[in-house]
Amino acid sequence: MNELALNLPVWIDQVNAHTGLRISVPAHLIPILAMFLCASIVAAAMGLSAAVLVWAERKLAGHFQCRLGPVYVGGKFGWLQSIADGIKLFLKEDLIPSDADRPLFRIAPYPVVLGVLLAFIAFPISEKLMVADLNVGIFFILAVLTVEVFGVILAGWASNNKWALIGAMRAVAQMVSYEIPMGLAILPVIMEAQSLSLKSIVNAQSGGILQWYVFQSPVFIGISFLIFFIAALASLKRAPFDLPEAESELTAGFHTEYSGMRFSFFFMAEYAGMILVSGLAALLYLGGWHGIFQGQAGPEWFLLKTSFLVFVMIWIRWTLPRLRIDQVVYLGWKVLTPFVLVCVVGQSFLAYK
Amino acid sequence: MSSVTAYFSDIYRGLSTALVGMSITLRYLFSRPVTEMYPDVKPMTPTRYRGVHVFEEEKCIGCYVCAKACPVECIEIGVVRKGKEIKITRFDIDYQKCMFCDLCCEPCPAHCIHMGPEFEKASFTRKGTILRFATPKSLTEEEKKVEKVAKK
Repeated sequence: MNELALNLPVWIDQVNAHTGLRISVPAHLIPILAMFLCASIVAAAMGLSAAVLVWAERKLAGHFQCRLGPVYVGGKFGWLQSIADGIKLFLKEDLIPSDADRPLFRIAPYPVVLGVLLAFIAFPISEKLMVADLNVGIFFILAVLTVEVFGVILAGWASNNKWALIGAMRAVAQMVSYEIPMGLAILPVIMEAQSLSLKSIVNAQSGGILQWYVFQSPVFIGISFLIFFIAALASLKRAPFDLPEAESELTAGFHTEYSGMRFSFFFMAEYAGMILVSGLAALLYLGGWHGIFQGQAGPEWFLLKTSFLVFVMIWIRWTLPRLRIDQVVYLGWKVLTPFVLVCVVGQSFLAYK
Repeated sequence: MSSVTAYFSDIYRGLSTALVGMSITLRYLFSRPVTEMYPDVKPMTPTRYRGVHVFEEEKCIGCYVCAKACPVECIEIGVVRKGKEIKITRFDIDYQKCMFCDLCCEPCPAHCIHMGPEFEKASFTRKGTILRFATPKSLTEEEKKVEKVAKK
């Protein structure tokens, strides 16, 4: 973003020179303009990638079950399906139940989107392509993702609906308890890289596939990668941990009463969260934008790894049945947490030089 | 089995069975979908499929045998006989009643009515479900007098 702010006056001069316009921006407005640009790019990228991902998930879900998925909208392959769905959601009536807590019901979707959107600030796509290289990047992302919990519990409470409330309570219990293994699973990587900045974590993994943290220390970081991925699935409320929105028990969980735009916010946040968490796993464990061989680097590698992890998430969703709530809690506290603690302690011995 | 080994074997089984399931769904991902693209591509009907009738008017001798055989009385036939000349003026089958039992086709001496492969004859009106198989003919006054319409 700072680079963008530095380049903006040059670009504006170039535009003026080419078109003959006389655009002049006061110097103190340049950083604000850069901020605005970055925010809109992040929001647009998030919305667009969520739309693509919804289509990809429906298509893949079809093929996982020997069906075809969407085929008609947009000619071949139904590639405009999620755009059509989006238009439908935008045009739908925004219903608020008469007994709902109106102000809370109205603001509930925004913290959910905000959490994911803020997390993308510290999310580097390549060496140059990032909004801000925060020196506490990974810590910031984990902290900001927790904001989502507020939106979920607000939505569940304000709906004044038993299913919504049960779903929200399950969501909060699950998300809060899985934050612990998720946060601890990152520790071995941080110990190895000795930095919280995502850029320097990735740069510590340069030089071929064997330097990626999963392969650099396959026992402790490998297991913590697995734990991070499982905990991420749980905190995103994806199957097999989709108890908060278990459609066969709770209709739709915390967003039962939502329709139209507000529902699409929840939906978009879920899919953007998938990209975020997969990208985070790719950055922390799979070498980010570094390629398989030494010297290869670029955003395409990062996107490849991220989309593979997203594919695995979809794959898991259409394979495994939903867990019971006691199994989820058992897995979180009695399996993932002790294992990740062993990984942290073991890696701290390895990292001691 | 002690509880410690049970704990670890549970974890191992949880992971390994998940991988087994995932390998099965991965195999399905690359197998051919079973979806029939129905309105775009008509499904193949078997050769002895009992769909909407096929009527061969030039063979029909107007003997009403099919109408008599019909257990639900859905066939209505009109015939004009003039010496050896036979004019089929009506051959209506009411598909609200028809149960596609094939009993009309069996006794036909001229083999002029068969069960066909067609099955998409839904209609928005009751009248639309009555299919008229005979080609419409203009009759003279004399012919109208001798026309016999039979319903069983």
